[in-house]
Amino acid sequence: MLAEFSEKQKIPYPLLSDVDSEVIRAFGILNDTVEPGDAMLYGIPYPGTYVCDEAGVVVAKFFHESYKKRDSAELYIDAALGRVVLDEAAPSVSHGDEDVQVTVAVQGGSGSLRQGIVRQAIVRFDLADGLHLYGPPAPEGMIPLAVTLKGPPGLVAEAAELPPTETLHLADMGIDLEVWSGSFEVRVPFYAVGELASETRPLDVDSVILEVQARFQACDDNTCLLPRTESLSLELPLEAIDVPNIDLHTGHGQREGAYDGTPHLRRLLLRKIRQHPLGFLRYLRKHRRLIKEAKARRAD
Amino acid sequence: MAIVERDEFGFDAPAPLNHPGRAGLPQGHGTGPEVGERLPDFELPDQTGRRIRFHEDRGEAKAVVVFYRSAVW
Repeated sequence: MLAEFSEKQKIPYPLLSDVDSEVIRAFGILNDTVEPGDAMLYGIPYPGTYVCDEAGVVVAKFFHESYKKRDSAELYIDAALGRVVLDEAAPSVSHGDEDVQVTVAVQGGSGSLRQGIVRQAIVRFDLADGLHLYGPPAPEGMIPLAVTLKGPPGLVAEAAELPPTETLHLADMGIDLEVWSGSFEVRVPFYAVGELASETRPLDVDSVILEVQARFQACDDNTCLLPRTESLSLELPLEAIDVPNIDLHTGHGQREGAYDGTPHLRRLLLRKIRQHPLGFLRYLRKHRRLIKEAKARRAD
Repeated sequence: MAIVERDEFGFDAPAPLNHPGRAGLPQGHGTGPEVGERLPDFELPDQTGRRIRFHEDRGEAKAVVVFYRSAVW
């Protein structure tokens, strides 16, 4: 099954099979909200990803509160390399002057959006020599850098991830300031939810506008420029995804185009039924009850 | 026609809410090895049946280990 899946999807990395969930258990990530009697689902992990270095030591991990939220593969590569490597196809826009240049690019999937897949807005600041921007907390009366991301309803932006600041010691005034200088990047993870990019109904629009605002005040060691707000926007396409309509279990989507898992699902079901006839009946009963309850909720 | 309901995070899926397949990671639940720890070694068959020994087979390379739920659904 995995061989065919791997071939059809042109997956270049090994797909490993943890049939008895031994490794899943050893890692401590068995989904224990699924009851052992649930023959269909028992044994699945809480999905997540580890990135390790040459010594096998974890350098980053990605686990989310919902299994629907998943990371762009590019974010794993960035985590492994410890820096952002933008694809040439990543949409990008730039604005500014000789003092401060602001560039916004979208990392992941060439900037396309689909439900739950996390992309990152990479906001790069290129400062002229001698200039710095303040990190929070800024000295009294100064404006610290703030990056905000806006989109249509259904586009969820997470908190901006600021790089570490450097300490600038001003001997004249006897103070230390937390600043950025030169070139640095702020990353803002974001993703679409069902309101914008449902995977269970056709899309309402083909693309959306992402707007990134950066408010800051650039200073050198003696004087400050006026506070400034740069607004940059990018058009991002929504990805149409194909969710195969399978009767018993309609699929959890996220799947790339032309792969039909129906025969494999049938085989899996037959195996599960043979292994746990009672468990499967329980699964079916629960499934029916949940659908009935959902219909009742809809009728209310 | 499948029942589609939107969950607390705003995600749609073609299964009713409370379906065990839609359960998320419970708050406070561990997520395995932490940053700074070495990943436990494991040996599993790949899609061709070949046994993969994680640390031995990755050699000196960095690696990404993804735990996913199913290739079927």
